[in-house]
Amino acid sequence: MVKQKSSRNRNVAAAVLLLLAIVSWSQADLFGHELLAQIAILAIFAMSLDLIAGYTGLVSLGHAAFYGVGAYATAGLASVAGWPMWAVVPSAMLLSALLAAAVGLFAVRLIGVFFIMITLAIGELVHAFAFRSRTFGGDDGLGGVPRSNLDAIGINLLDPAHFSLFTVIIAVLVYLVLARVVDSPFGQVLTGIHQNELRMRALGCPIRRYKLVAFVLSALFAGLAGSLTAQHNNFVSPELLTWTTSGEALIVVIIGGIGSLVGPAAGASVFVMLSHQLSSLTDYWMFFMGLFFVIVVLFAGDGLYGLFGRLFRMLSNVGR
Amino acid sequence: MRHWWYGWIVGLGLVATSHAEEVIKVGVVLPFSGVYASLGGDITDGMQLALEIYGSEIAGKKIILITEDSEVKPSVGLTKTKKLVFQDKVDLLVGPVASNVAGAMRDFVHTAKIPLIIPNAGNNLLTGEKCSPWVIRTSFSNNQINGVMGPWLYAQGYRTLYLMAADYAAGRQMMDAVRRGFIGAGGEIVGEEYPPLRETKDFAPYLAKVKAIHPDALYVFFAGGLAIQFVKQYHAFGLKGEIPLTGAGWLTSPLFLPAQGAAAVGFTGALNYVPSIDSDENRSFQAAFSEKHQRTASEFTVQGFDTGRLIVEALKVTGGETDDKSALVDAIHGVRFTGPRGPFRIDPATNNVIQDIYIFQMRQVGYNIRHVVIDKIENVQDPPNGCKM
Repeated sequence: MVKQKSSRNRNVAAAVLLLLAIVSWSQADLFGHELLAQIAILAIFAMSLDLIAGYTGLVSLGHAAFYGVGAYATAGLASVAGWPMWAVVPSAMLLSALLAAAVGLFAVRLIGVFFIMITLAIGELVHAFAFRSRTFGGDDGLGGVPRSNLDAIGINLLDPAHFSLFTVIIAVLVYLVLARVVDSPFGQVLTGIHQNELRMRALGCPIRRYKLVAFVLSALFAGLAGSLTAQHNNFVSPELLTWTTSGEALIVVIIGGIGSLVGPAAGASVFVMLSHQLSSLTDYWMFFMGLFFVIVVLFAGDGLYGLFGRLFRMLSNVGR
Repeated sequence: MRHWWYGWIVGLGLVATSHAEEVIKVGVVLPFSGVYASLGGDITDGMQLALEIYGSEIAGKKIILITEDSEVKPSVGLTKTKKLVFQDKVDLLVGPVASNVAGAMRDFVHTAKIPLIIPNAGNNLLTGEKCSPWVIRTSFSNNQINGVMGPWLYAQGYRTLYLMAADYAAGRQMMDAVRRGFIGAGGEIVGEEYPPLRETKDFAPYLAKVKAIHPDALYVFFAGGLAIQFVKQYHAFGLKGEIPLTGAGWLTSPLFLPAQGAAAVGFTGALNYVPSIDSDENRSFQAAFSEKHQRTASEFTVQGFDTGRLIVEALKVTGGETDDKSALVDAIHGVRFTGPRGPFRIDPATNNVIQDIYIFQMRQVGYNIRHVVIDKIENVQDPPNGCKM
């Protein structure tokens, strides 16, 4: 019962967020569409991280590796090897997942700070590779990444409005898949592992296998977000692979509300809009951004999702 | 949660449209935070000085700069560029400092057909294979600065050269240019070393190799903290009297010189500008700049200054018209002037600047350590490098 109620609340919140996205889309100018696409892509990335960090308790500081591999694979396969985009995007996702499977075999054996350290190390390794690779332009990056061609169904992704709609739709699909996953018995086991790993093991659950599958699944969607960002910017650079990209995603997850799936998506919109607005106002915008995070963490440990949930409950209690 | 920014967008849109007739908007994407913040500041100061001197009002239209912070991140630089084009509806763009940010902006301005004037980023590709009719560079290409040094060093009598640069794209491109020039002149490269960027603290293993091989000269490119460490360790290692230190001139930039001190004396470098250039144009520029800012103008300031002047001169030709972008670019191609750096013009074949390259030596002059110009290669023009417009 409790589980059903919480997932219903989550779905309602997601519907509200989607409504806001649709309203934004209908009102936005060209630059508004750019921001909306950025938000949708960051939301996908943050939701993928939430699956392992929020639901499975595997806090990763190397998630940018999978995001970056998705982006670099898209750039490499599309603009260097010349593959068609319908083959590029799934391949990019698969490559991210493959890397995660290889890394995960070792990483899921570790817990807590050791898991953080090994993911950080893997992230830095991939970054160093991209930074020095002359094929991918090293630190100068690689341009000329094309966007998917959906002219057949009347969508021209070169139009910012069409592209932002496309990314929002994909974000919704990713949300639906991940919501299905976390509500499934598989997802319940992940939550169980997060809450009490020893008990789950005592119950005979092969926890490493569960963790590995969650890790790979998470990387699959991180790779999708990376592929989308490469298409959005038509450009990839090692910046996508820095540990600060992973850190930013983690911040987005935390301010949104870790382990709520919809929270990280809301966190993504707040993060993008706030950083955009603040950086236009002052050169010291990072200071105010930091202040905002401190306040959120101090006064709403469960993030914006938890905060809004409490407000909503308070209001409905008052009404009663 | 997402709709509160509409007020902003609508507000900015109104401001933009109400002024659209009287102003010429120049969007500036430069780093104002992070490691290159001082470069962004120098370039902006230079541009503003140029607008003050050469006129910030053309045919009754005022030139205004709308600045955005690139944070030295390609994705941020691109987003800010899109903001300037879509929201502020700028007439042309200036920026950025870093080549990776330039790479991210390049495809967008190329498709949007908005002229972008690059006041620093030196990646050869930007005016080579990846050149665009809309991307103009007033600073330099990595090849342009270093290409002349190979033949010059050979002419000075050096026959063997050892190359060393930080392991990133710019370092590699600069060393490629020197290698090509030096081998082409008949010299021999006896060793190359690429220490990792950022992580390198200790150059001793690399310097030990140089000492063992004992080339006629060592040619390097380092910037920032690495430049300071390298120069000091080169001195401390006792190589200074033994093997001449040469390289791309940023090694002893006025920014790093106070920290390097006497260790910098003896370095021979090539650069497109040094403050001590002996010309009326440079003297009056430095005087005007130091009167306003109480400091010496750097090569970055000059690049900003010439960028500002180029914009003013080109707009004078078009009569302040900016709607016809290809007429604006044609006007930019037609501009010729003698600035602090010497004769300045844009090569229509690549959109890269044609300029003099100065070869200088760091010398102790009285109590000061100065860049003393010892030679000048005139009108250095980059080869097309695969550029097809």
